[in-house]
Amino acid sequence: MFAGTVVYAVINSVILLLMAIGFNLTFGISGVSNFAYGALYILAAFSTWMLMNLIGVPYFASAILSILFTALIGALMYRFIIMRVRGQVLSEVIATFGIGLAILEFFRYLGFVGIEYSLPVFVDHSFLIAGTYVDMQRILILVASVVLIALLWVFIHHTSIGLAFRGIAQDERTALTFGVDSDYIAMLSVAIGAGLAAIAATVIVPLGTISIEKGYDVLLNALAVCIIGGLGSTGGVVVASLFVGFAQRFTDTYMGSHYTMIVSLVAILLVLVVKPSGLFGKQKELEERI
Amino acid sequence: MKKHLGTFGLLLSLLVICTGLAGGAYGADPIVIGVPTSTGFLEGREGLAIVHMAVEEINAKGGVKVGPERRKLVVESIDIRDAAPGVPVPEALLGLEKIILEKKPTALLIGPFRSEALLAGMDIIAKYKVPMIGTIAMTPASEEKIKSDPEKYKYIFRTCLNARYLVRYLIGIMAYVNEEFGFDRVYIMNQDVAWARATADLIKKNYFAEKGWTVVGHEAYPTGTSDFSSALMKIRAGGAQVILPIFDMPQSGILVKQWNAMRVPALLAGFISPLAGPGAWRTFDGKIGGAVNCNFELGSAIASQKVPQSVDFYASYAEKFGRPMEAGHGPAPTYEAVYILAEAIERAGTLDPDAIVAEIKKTDRVGVMGRIRFDEGHQAIFGMDPNEAAVACVFQWSEQGDRINVYPESIADGKIMLPPGLKSAK
Repeated sequence: MFAGTVVYAVINSVILLLMAIGFNLTFGISGVSNFAYGALYILAAFSTWMLMNLIGVPYFASAILSILFTALIGALMYRFIIMRVRGQVLSEVIATFGIGLAILEFFRYLGFVGIEYSLPVFVDHSFLIAGTYVDMQRILILVASVVLIALLWVFIHHTSIGLAFRGIAQDERTALTFGVDSDYIAMLSVAIGAGLAAIAATVIVPLGTISIEKGYDVLLNALAVCIIGGLGSTGGVVVASLFVGFAQRFTDTYMGSHYTMIVSLVAILLVLVVKPSGLFGKQKELEERI
Repeated sequence: MKKHLGTFGLLLSLLVICTGLAGGAYGADPIVIGVPTSTGFLEGREGLAIVHMAVEEINAKGGVKVGPERRKLVVESIDIRDAAPGVPVPEALLGLEKIILEKKPTALLIGPFRSEALLAGMDIIAKYKVPMIGTIAMTPASEEKIKSDPEKYKYIFRTCLNARYLVRYLIGIMAYVNEEFGFDRVYIMNQDVAWARATADLIKKNYFAEKGWTVVGHEAYPTGTSDFSSALMKIRAGGAQVILPIFDMPQSGILVKQWNAMRVPALLAGFISPLAGPGAWRTFDGKIGGAVNCNFELGSAIASQKVPQSVDFYASYAEKFGRPMEAGHGPAPTYEAVYILAEAIERAGTLDPDAIVAEIKKTDRVGVMGRIRFDEGHQAIFGMDPNEAAVACVFQWSEQGDRINVYPESIADGKIMLPPGLKSAK
């Protein structure tokens, strides 16, 4: 039982990490809190479903097209809405949350409710690991997240756009003096964040079905992990995902499933009291308040 | 020329007379049926579609006869969103009041999803004296409220299954597997919402405790839970032979997938809403063979050859909308509710709400769910024989993707088969 719980805790952590990484990347680079993040996750899932079932595009092609489409929506969202309010945190939150709400409720209006909206698993097989059966899709999620984090690291550290990302993240004004177009980079960060939400949807959704309510859950999970880890800190998000993921599964196994919902909330409260900027956060303004 | 003019005049007069006669047949104002419900959810969406379907059928036959004239039915709906997480009951009630005041419906159908909204909404319905036949919310508390003040709450009826009857059906299934296979070790998994909690607790107290079953574990899951691995590991470790799930959230589909992927040697038998309709086979990649599910009403996404009306209803829906019904709760009682209302209006011969409710109460109709009559709490009576009462339908997914009706016996087409890896304890 203990070994099985560890196995599923690792998988749960990785799922949380995948859900949060895009939100964190956007915030870390451009400072934009993209509250439409959960809606973009659902948009990608429904796009894949529509391409497959309404147009007949093969699964992998549908997934890739959906990821590109969601990234494009993210870019357009920045260019036409977020750019106008950038820097005004409350306006950013209201604008992006409004966009997210509009996307999710639009799908509801179109009648995208029901159990028929699901994506197939990539490989249908189960393995016995530490005395517990684990399906191949969960193992793929594990592999996908490791590959994704590695690729992101290479992209951020070894490409010119990645360097511009870091420049903007460290000091936007100084980056501007070096000719970095901050609006262009911020647009890219929102687009890549949206694309990461779409990648998460592509690998996670086959575990269940696509439901509109999941959009809100994804946003809440991403927020929880980012707040605990420290907004904008990739290392923080990794550690927070592991912390919350393990805490949720062990709480479920040894205390009761109904306590799992409060695990992340309690963790957020504790972190806000002890270290308001998060475990790895570097926001001095917040630290100086305690 | 004069002759031609005379002929033209005669034809014109005839046309006017015919138009007048036709107008007389449908000239009266239509009867408005209000549908305040959560139309953004599967049960609400399909329910509203079924109200339209039944209304079209009735109108095609000339409408409803009210005294000397025939009147058409029209449908007005509003999304009260009470099923959506976080929507407070007062907001749902605003929608209920809005449709009553703005559309002036003769009666309301389907109604709230959540029992809390129904209970609070009963006072609004009583205040405006609009008959309502509910087809989703399941709390027996509404029946107690009606019995506590029959004159005030006489306008509220329910044609769908209530929680008390659901308990009887689930107990019936547990008794079946006990008798057939000797199973007596169960793990209960329910959604952490009022109706599911109450259902699980009642079965635990009234059946498992009395009959000496071992309850290996009992977990309540918050709505939105998306990982059931811990419970499934406990089920394997604890040697449970039966998993009793009670869920109406879309995420409960994950439980089915995990049950299959983790190869848990236990029979999944209870209620998981995503398993109800024929689309589940494709949704879950054909990995649900062996799962046993209780659809709350016969006709709601499941039919029985032994009740031909249910077969016709199932086929008519698929033909009209180009897709099969998927909601295992709501469609059949909603269809019946339209006809019950239409027949009550015809018998009453007036749109007076008191006269209509008096006639609804006298309903004795054989339809897609079996025979429908109301008890003192204005609840449709459910039983085990469709000739005597309305019935729910328990079926099992076969390994080939068919749904075999297994309970109650009166509509059963086969027996429960154990999934691979699970052996009878007898």
